[in-house]
Amino acid sequence: MFNETVLKEIDGIRAKYPDARSALLPSLYVAQREFGWLSPEAMTCVAKTLNLPEAMVRGTASFYAMFRHNPVGRNVIQLCTNVSCMILGSDRLLDLLKSRFDLEPGETTKDGRFSLVIMECIGACGTAPAMLVNTDFHDNLTEQNLEEIMGKYK
Amino acid sequence: MITITINGKNIKLDEPMSVLKAAGKAGIKIPTLCHHDALETYGGCRLCVVEVERMPKLQNACTLIAADGMVITTESEVISKVRRGILELLLINHPLDCPYCDKAGECELQDLVDKYGPTVGRYTEIKRKVPASHKDEIFVRNMDRCVVCTRCVRMCNKVQGASAIDIIGRGNKSRMEPFSSASFNCEYCGNCLSVCPVGAILSRLYLHSFRPWQIDREVETVCSYCGVGCSVVVQVRDDSIKRVIPRFGLGLNNGLLCSRGRFGYEYINSEERLKEPLIRKNGKLEKSTWSEAIDFTAKKLTEIKNSHGGDAVAGIASPRCTNEDNYVFQKFMRMACGTNNIDSVSRMGFASAQKYLEDLLGQGVTSNMISGVKNADTILVVGGDPTAVNPILGLAVREAARNGAAVAVIGEAKGLEKFKTLKVVPPVFREAELLESLLSEVAEAKDPRNERPAVDQGISQLSGGSAGVDTGELKKILLDGKSISIILGSDLVQRANGHRALFAIAGLTYMLEARLTLLSDRPNEQGLIDMGCLPDTLPGGRPVTVHDFRDKFENEWNGTIPENEGLSLLEIIEGAENGNIKALYVMGENPAFNLPDSSSARKALESLDLLVVQDIFLTETAEIADVVFPSSGWAEKQGTYTNLERRIQLLNKAVGASSSMEDWKILKEVSIKMGYQMTYSSAEDVMDEIATVSPLYSDLTYREISAGHCLWPYHGKPLRGEINELPASAEAPEDYKEDLYLVIDKPLFHSGSLSRKSPALRKICPEPLLRIGPGHAQKLGLKDGDLVDVSTSKGGFDVTLSVDDCLGDGKVYLSNNFEDRGVLSLMGYRLDPVTKAPGIEGCAVKIQKKADSSAGSDKS
Ligand code: SF4
Ligand code: SF4
Ligand code: SF4
Ligand code: FES
Repeated sequence: MFNETVLKEIDGIRAKYPDARSALLPSLYVAQREFGWLSPEAMTCVAKTLNLPEAMVRGTASFYAMFRHNPVGRNVIQLCTNVSCMILGSDRLLDLLKSRFDLEPGETTKDGRFSLVIMECIGACGTAPAMLVNTDFHDNLTEQNLEEIMGKYK
Repeated sequence: MITITINGKNIKLDEPMSVLKAAGKAGIKIPTLCHHDALETYGGCRLCVVEVERMPKLQNACTLIAADGMVITTESEVISKVRRGILELLLINHPLDCPYCDKAGECELQDLVDKYGPTVGRYTEIKRKVPASHKDEIFVRNMDRCVVCTRCVRMCNKVQGASAIDIIGRGNKSRMEPFSSASFNCEYCGNCLSVCPVGAILSRLYLHSFRPWQIDREVETVCSYCGVGCSVVVQVRDDSIKRVIPRFGLGLNNGLLCSRGRFGYEYINSEERLKEPLIRKNGKLEKSTWSEAIDFTAKKLTEIKNSHGGDAVAGIASPRCTNEDNYVFQKFMRMACGTNNIDSVSRMGFASAQKYLEDLLGQGVTSNMISGVKNADTILVVGGDPTAVNPILGLAVREAARNGAAVAVIGEAKGLEKFKTLKVVPPVFREAELLESLLSEVAEAKDPRNERPAVDQGISQLSGGSAGVDTGELKKILLDGKSISIILGSDLVQRANGHRALFAIAGLTYMLEARLTLLSDRPNEQGLIDMGCLPDTLPGGRPVTVHDFRDKFENEWNGTIPENEGLSLLEIIEGAENGNIKALYVMGENPAFNLPDSSSARKALESLDLLVVQDIFLTETAEIADVVFPSSGWAEKQGTYTNLERRIQLLNKAVGASSSMEDWKILKEVSIKMGYQMTYSSAEDVMDEIATVSPLYSDLTYREISAGHCLWPYHGKPLRGEINELPASAEAPEDYKEDLYLVIDKPLFHSGSLSRKSPALRKICPEPLLRIGPGHAQKLGLKDGDLVDVSTSKGGFDVTLSVDDCLGDGKVYLSNNFEDRGVLSLMGYRLDPVTKAPGIEGCAVKIQKKADSSAGSDKS
């Protein structure tokens, strides 16, 4: 179950809306932050806290791409491979992640340090290729600075 | 008045409605897929598109509200093309496995494609693949067949109120799943399955075992499980039941069923059914013939009657048997055996409560309709959970709550947790005082009624004491109500001072002008009462001690009815124990298991000179009987049941049973052998007699029952029976100081002797569970799934613990449904002096974790 602070946070979110269902998406974010991913237990916690049916929580969570339904590493890389990024070399970055970190899209490194998610466009076409690591934004990526940036995340 | 034109036809509408509904009224069929009459409108599939003049685009008939002057066309070249297009899109992913799918023949998609669909699809995409899920015990999910109409989800959320499933995923990956993605863990009503238009949700009970068009016959009858009396259709092939389904538009349940009604029918086909009469010879039950068993029974009963008098004989009737069976039973007991010692397990709740309430408020006071509950603005639930005991009535409570009714629960009602406005939990076994203090507060706030002296007087004498619980909010809810329904369960009656709680309920009903419903966990408790299977009452609720009533029946029945009141259920058992009762005739009941202190009851039964049992299984009672007759089961006979609203409904024979006999017929044969003539040749003959003698069923015929709903009193004259003086107030309440008490649980999935022989129900709920609140479990260091030893002064056994978040401390709940582990074997009782119901309270209990229980703990 959530600890007191988290419960309070969710209560705060709940209080903003007349209907508990409206508080579901923000609460799922909180759960994802706390558990790292939306495990069945995490969704049960959300359901109990908001007094919503579990099936509905799962139905909602499964609709959105930003919710994770499998365990992930400590740091989640979301790399864009959409048109601009692709033209400017995201494929090479993918190759590097594979060769250097043994990291494939949708997977997690053995040491649990990184997970890789391919995503569609983070609105940085002008400074492509770009990626998010957790919530940090990085652009103008090259094979050199990619390694450097990754070094900052343990 | 709204006038619209559909396909050139002028249609006048009194109220606003969708174009789909308006067309339906005019007999014009518009194809639909996501729409279902029982569900809220969705507008997702667009198969119902129609052309509307002056509207540029096609419109959904199901969501478009008809406006005055609209001109609508429902079939045209364009419309067909659009429908064909939609179906072609659906068929991109829908597998074409009709030859293998159970739904073929009654599949709405198949029918639509047959009418509108493309014969060849133009899309070449690979179909999505979702493997069939066989992980649930009851449902098979074939989600590659799902067309995402959301009917199942709307059914589960908005009608059933279980909210156990939802659509998961997105786009063409969307499909229905329960939360666990594997087993449903839900109420297993199967109503989602009923509304699925395709073969995406199937039942394992008959998977791949027949085609819808291979059914030999369909028989409309009534469910055999509880007092709601849902209408069901039994589909038969090769003289065995293939499935039991509800039908929209049929009966008070209108297309809905609960788990017991839908999946609990397999006991009829059970291998364990009794096949021939048995007689005890040299201490062992041995196969016998009908004539030997009948002769033996008649001879023994006559001997006992002659040497010890009729009152040495007693009978236990059955709320599972029909009115006809029960009528003949009491007549047999009174006329052939010469005794009024007739009662049933209904004494433990329904019958006791009804008698007392009717004595106070008049006959028929508990005949609130289920629709009345649905339309109430305030509902008080006390002494039981309607969603478990009478699930379809429970749905009415949920529906009322959804429509804004205030639902107040006193005690526990798990199925209403999400629907209640207020829950008040009195200290253990102190419901009576809570209700009394509530009544005095309500009475104070209301003008006196001065219509029923006994009730008025009773109210004025209330002590005003309280159970130490604030009733202010309860009072407010009740006083605010305009149309109040009170629902009463048997827990309240099973108290040593149960009549006090009943008086308080009567007082509340009277002061608030509320309507009353009694929960009834057997299909014919009301009928059994109406038929006079009571120690003090003749058919039609006429007191046996009143000479004039007796006289009338004696003329009809040609004999003498004993003048004295007979013994009630537990007095009969006590009579057997102390030797006053020598012979007991049991029809369709299992007193060695279903009574409190059941091991003593069993011993008392063993000491009888003669124990005769008519049943469909070799129950705990049949095992110790001297004669056992195999009787016909529910789907094998004709007759009537009277439901808890007092609706008289017809039971029809669906399957034959070569080796069994209807209960009334067995009684008739024994009666004739004992020298008391009976001449009925069919159940209908029995009803003809009931209609002549019972003032409540006057002129009733099968034809009229099957033509429509027959509500009690049918052409009849109820009594305004009244208690003029209340019995002196009972002693002060006991102070219950033990840490933990055992109480009776009434689970949704089981009812006892029938449900435990129904494999599907056993799969849903295979074993008894001891329910405990999380607080108390923690205090005892126990967790969900632990195997524990539960013991009281009467005995003990091992059972799995189930931690239930909605329960408080101080009580554990256990059911009386499973062999060798019935809660009643652990509980003693004290008779309520007024209602004669057993007060099953104050049963202190110990639970202890079994040493080897770690293995059982991770099975959740
Ligand atoms: S069986 Fe009933 S409770 Fe279970 S998912 Fe279906 S509709 Fe819901
Ligand atoms: S399972 Fe059936 S009812 Fe439910 S959404 Fe799919 S097709 Fe519709
Ligand atoms: S509510 Fe009662 S009568 Fe209806 S299906 Fe369920 S058990 Fe049968
Ligand atoms: S039936 Fe109207 S949109 Fe599905």
